[in-house]
Amino acid sequence: MVAKKLQIDSVLRPEVLIIGAGGAGLRCAAEICERRPGTSILAVTKMYSPQKSHTSTAQGGMAAVDPNDPVDKIIYHMFDTWKGSDCSADQNVIKKVCEPAWEQVLWLERHGMHFSRTQEGRIAKRPFGGHMLNFGKLKACRACYEVDRTGKGIMDTVWAESLKHGVVFLNRTLATELLFRNGRCTGAIVLMEENGKFVAVLAKATVMATGGKTRMYQVSSNCRQNTGDGLALILQAGLPVMDLEAVQFHPTGIVGPGILASEALRGEGGILRNKDGEPFMERYAPTAKDLAPRDLVSRHTMTEIREGRGCIHPDHKLPHVWLDLRHIPEHIHKTRIQEVCGFFRRFVGVDPQTQLCPVTPTAHYQMGGAPTSEFGEVQKDAKEIVHGLYACGEFAAASLHGHNRLGTNSLLELITMGRVVGERVAANLHDAEDPGDVPRDAGQHVFPQFSRYLESCGKERYARIRDELCVLMTKKVGVFRNEKNLAEAIEKLGELKERARHTKLAGTSVIMNQELLHFWELDHLLNVSMVIAKSALARKESRGAHYREDYPERNPEFQYHTLAYMTEYGKVTLSRRPIDMSIFEAGGEHYERFAIIERKY
Amino acid sequence: MPQEYDLTLWISRYDPDTRRSWVQDYRLQAGRILRFVDIFRKINDEQDPTLAWSSSCEHGQCGTCGMKINGKPLLTCELLVENAVRLFKTQAFTVEPLTIAPVIRDLVINMEEAYARVHSVKPYIIQPAPPHPEGDEYRISPKVLETYVDATRCINCFCCATACVTQKNYLGPNAMLANIVRLMDPRETAKQERMDILYSEQGTPRCRTAQACTFVCPKEIDVAHFIALAKEGRCA
Repeated sequence: MVAKKLQIDSVLRPEVLIIGAGGAGLRCAAEICERRPGTSILAVTKMYSPQKSHTSTAQGGMAAVDPNDPVDKIIYHMFDTWKGSDCSADQNVIKKVCEPAWEQVLWLERHGMHFSRTQEGRIAKRPFGGHMLNFGKLKACRACYEVDRTGKGIMDTVWAESLKHGVVFLNRTLATELLFRNGRCTGAIVLMEENGKFVAVLAKATVMATGGKTRMYQVSSNCRQNTGDGLALILQAGLPVMDLEAVQFHPTGIVGPGILASEALRGEGGILRNKDGEPFMERYAPTAKDLAPRDLVSRHTMTEIREGRGCIHPDHKLPHVWLDLRHIPEHIHKTRIQEVCGFFRRFVGVDPQTQLCPVTPTAHYQMGGAPTSEFGEVQKDAKEIVHGLYACGEFAAASLHGHNRLGTNSLLELITMGRVVGERVAANLHDAEDPGDVPRDAGQHVFPQFSRYLESCGKERYARIRDELCVLMTKKVGVFRNEKNLAEAIEKLGELKERARHTKLAGTSVIMNQELLHFWELDHLLNVSMVIAKSALARKESRGAHYREDYPERNPEFQYHTLAYMTEYGKVTLSRRPIDMSIFEAGGEHYERFAIIERKY
Repeated sequence: MPQEYDLTLWISRYDPDTRRSWVQDYRLQAGRILRFVDIFRKINDEQDPTLAWSSSCEHGQCGTCGMKINGKPLLTCELLVENAVRLFKTQAFTVEPLTIAPVIRDLVINMEEAYARVHSVKPYIIQPAPPHPEGDEYRISPKVLETYVDATRCINCFCCATACVTQKNYLGPNAMLANIVRLMDPRETAKQERMDILYSEQGTPRCRTAQACTFVCPKEIDVAHFIALAKEGRCA
């Protein structure tokens, strides 16, 4: 059967196009509307409502130093972020995000977020991993939270504000190709899944905020839609992505669904055990034990599994270790860890008060993403920006996190950088060029791509390729990496991509064709995985979440961000972007803390 | 306890290209703790890639995967096989989309109109109270917050709206709840406008106090309690 000719069905002309309507995208939308009332904004989302975005699943909190706090200072927060990043965050961005943090908490609060409160009725705060007072001396209390659903509070607030300002949403819509005119981004071609129509959206400003991408791992805390679509679009346009080798693995994902079992469980006394019941963290970290930093615990858990001391889950067929919560007093189970324990009951049918809980490291967060200036302008190389194209949230790498992110800094980033981008877009709109007509070469990527899906023949199976990809990435480009495994992974990725060309759709409708969507997503997963593997191979050192067994130490020769381009599959061009050290270079008070320092906890 | 169950699923199908609807039966084996979303994926992977269904976070936080299983609206990411077998006392299940919205394909429904009801109650603060004189956050005591915090947990999965005995001209329990949250929120001053929404023809008069909303809520919110408060005028 010959598929019908694909074409642009219609044209929309908002002033601003937002791709990805999660926390960052909609905080940005709200800022634009507050600064420039009446701006027409169109936001597209893969979800059936923006409220379903993955931001809503964040649990812990949002870091912000309250100026009323007698002991905490912004400089401590900046230091923690720098140290946590393993000295590869950009200091101009650290300053830009940490300084207005409290102001942004207030913005959310005044716009209706239901923060948890102290007895005095003020916003309550809790301690969180890596956040300290006095440059790493004592635990700081600076995570503002809404019970254990802070992300939901943020999502509901920015979504409702967007509604208030009349932002228009295209739900269940995929951004499939960026449009350019004389090097300036003028919008995107989107595919509306519910009617199968391709629409050209022409805008003066395009903001990408498509979130994370870790679905190429077997166990991932990311939602089903986080398949690297945004990064694939950037790569397709010949633009670079940055630091993709930096993937954070959270040590305690619930086996199967990959849902996070919060650090709080270990904070309350939970113990990790191998298949013999041994509390193995005592062996690796005699002092910090189970509360050692995330990357360390993930690595040691994987070591147990690799050396045969893990278990295989009978239902999910995945290797794991145990989290033991049985000795924790009943009243703590009931009052402090009820929600998370509920996840074990609900999703793996285990009662944590009487049974061991199966956990395994789960791919959680991308520190890297589309490289941007400190104003969220997408870069085409280490210096130049692409006019008309912006990025924020987890999708963007400005970069606040470098090669490792602290808990609660992600929600802070998406709100503050969403605002920064909104401010920038609003300021630039006034004399921004009109996007003009649909570019003549529009569809040059997306139509051949979709035609290929619709027409391709062969006996390869989508599901098998997807599963093999996930196993490959987990085993060879996961918590541990080495030259041999990475080289093997790159070769296998090439094979998988070739096999993916020989898959055949069971149905060739373009209306709500989930299989067609899966083909598109698989291409993105393969493309992004290739860049992760190549970037990881090139970084011959260990830094933050990127751990090379063959190069276990950080190496000053790699004191830069990785930029990677890939216009043809497998042909990755690597480049560098310097790390901003402006706080250190300014030589102000405590500047010496922002030198290249050792990361020890 | 068996490690595997032999399941039969009768799944509602609809093809928008031919406008044909039918019920298709699928038989498969599944481990006891697979969730219904895992089963749909298994069907896609092993039997029928054309079956369309919706999900996202798959841990009960986004409300995308609501469906009717043996007539009961619930989140399919939270339904384990062994629990379903226990709950419904069978290994055969009917799987239908939520009945509050038109079907696009199979189990995927068009939520635009349903969500428009939530939008219509203005889930934001319409008219904020003046800021605290000291310039920082509003002061809300935990006791006050406690009275409505449960209502803020709603994820708009529309299970309640599906179970509700009133299916026409009603905002629906979840949209009612979104309005009630702001009625009870001390930062909102546009109480009259909120009352007007609450007592409008599509509001409280349409609720028949069957409490099906509370019974099916996956987040275990006592929706009926909040609507009862509203009816008694004890919200603001």
